[in-house]
This record gives sequence, C-alpha cells and structure tokens, in this order.
Amino acid sequence: MRTVLKVVDNSGAKKVMCIQALKGKKGARLGDTIIASVKEAMPNGKVKKGKVVYGVVVLAAMQRGRCDGSEVKFDDNAVVLVDKQGQPIGTRVFGPVPHELRQKKHVKILTLAEHIA
Amino acid sequence: MRLEKCWFCSSTVYPGHGIQFVRNDAKIFHFCRSKCHKNFKMKRNPRKVKWTKAYRRLHGKDMTQDSTFEFERKRNRPERYDRNLAENTLKAIKKIDKIRSDRASGHIKNRLKTGKVQRQKEARKQLELGIHLVKAPLALAQDSSLCLPKIKVNVSQTQTEENQPMEE
Repeated sequence: MRTVLKVVDNSGAKKVMCIQALKGKKGARLGDTIIASVKEAMPNGKVKKGKVVYGVVVLAAMQRGRCDGSEVKFDDNAVVLVDKQGQPIGTRVFGPVPHELRQKKHVKILTLAEHIA
Repeated sequence: MRLEKCWFCSSTVYPGHGIQFVRNDAKIFHFCRSKCHKNFKMKRNPRKVKWTKAYRRLHGKDMTQDSTFEFERKRNRPERYDRNLAENTLKAIKKIDKIRSDRASGHIKNRLKTGKVQRQKEARKQLELGIHLVKAPLALAQDSSLCLPKIKVNVSQTQTEENQPMEE
C-alpha cells in the first residue's frame, strides 16, 4: 500500500503506487503481483495517469531468500505492468530480473528481460 | 551450487551464507557477511581497507602470481559427471590447496626476513648497552665467562649499502 514503484517496461507508465497486494497478508514481495495506480506516465503510452493496473514486482530492495540459503536484494523497487492474465503490457523490459519469476510462471517477462539475476 | 568470492574481502562464500546484491546495471556483488556488505554500503574501496585480500595483494603482502591460481579459474561450462573425474578432482583440490598455502606462507616468511635481521641487530645493541640491568658490572668483571658471546648477524650486502647515506 502506498509504495511507489518504478516501472521498468515500455508500457508508458513511469511510476505506479501500490494499492493492493494480491496474496500475502504482509504485503507483496519479489515476484508477487500487485494492483497499482499509475501516478506518472509518458505522454503517449499505452497506459495513462490514474489508470488502475496489475503489476509484477521484479526488483525489490528487501532481500528475498533463495532456496540454496543465500539472499538477494536489488537496488530499488520496480514493477512490470501486466494484464489480468499475467501477460506483460509492454514489449520490452529493462534491467535485471530475478529468476524467482520462473517459479511464478511469468515466463514471458523472463524472455523479454535483458539480464536474469 | 557455486562457491563465489566475496566482492569486498575475497573470501569464499559458501551456500547458505551471505547476501547477493544486484545493481540496476545488472552487476552482481556477492558478500560473505554483513561486515563486508556494510563496508560496501559505506562506499569504501576494498583496495584501501587493510584487512581485505585486495589490499594485501595490491601492496605485495600476499602472493599474487603463482601457477596454482590457474586451477581456480571460473569455468562456465558444466562438466558431464564422471565419478573418476570427481574423485581425482577432490584429491587434487586438497593437494593444490596445500601447495598454495605453503607457497603463500613462504612468501610472507621471506617478506618478514629483513625485519627479523633488523630486530636482532637492535636487540644485540640494546643488550650491550644495558648489560648492567642483566648482570652487575662487578660480577661481569670478576667472572669473564659471564660475558655475552658475540652474536654474529648475517647482514646482506644491499642492506649495508642502504645504511650508508643515513649515517652521514
């Protein structure tokens, strides 16, 4: 709630604010989907300011434990906008993405990604 | 499973330890413990922090070039599992480790040798000056067998040449 996340795809939005975390009483973490409201957008993009969208968290500054016992953390909080089915709205994803997305079945985002951390 | 090197102190990070930090330009930093992680967050340069391997290698405190380092290069191609290969590799790792640590300690010993010679010289001089603290001068005069034997210190040629300008 109220967390402002960066958008790392080319869907048009720049910043979104989380309004609901689907799944998880304590909030969404790396790899989870959230419902967000677009706060800042590029002038001509697919999404406009004020629109309510779904997003998948791809970068989180909070460390997430991996199954081998290590922990990963990223530089800031970022999201990739998706539709209700989980398909990304944009056509490109910038920056690194974690391979936790594979387990969450967000394969399309992984294929678009530049670098998988 | 892969054993990484800590970005700050260069020690190995075993599975289950440490934190991996991924920067936005997709560069991954591994840290072995929170000490290294916190130093990184403080933006300290490991080459200037005395206890890190980076500093020690840069300032010649530790061995930098050796053939045993070639065995530890990062290999990205996974090897097909072969029991014999695995067994031989494990044996080799032990042996190579021993050789490397012996050579490294030899390097450090060599480095500290000149200091030892210097200290012996100084100790001998101090003993000569302060022999009255060890044994009463009268007793020394009476019994010449109590005189301290001359300690021969092998000083290398280069050292004596270095000392000359200072004595001026």
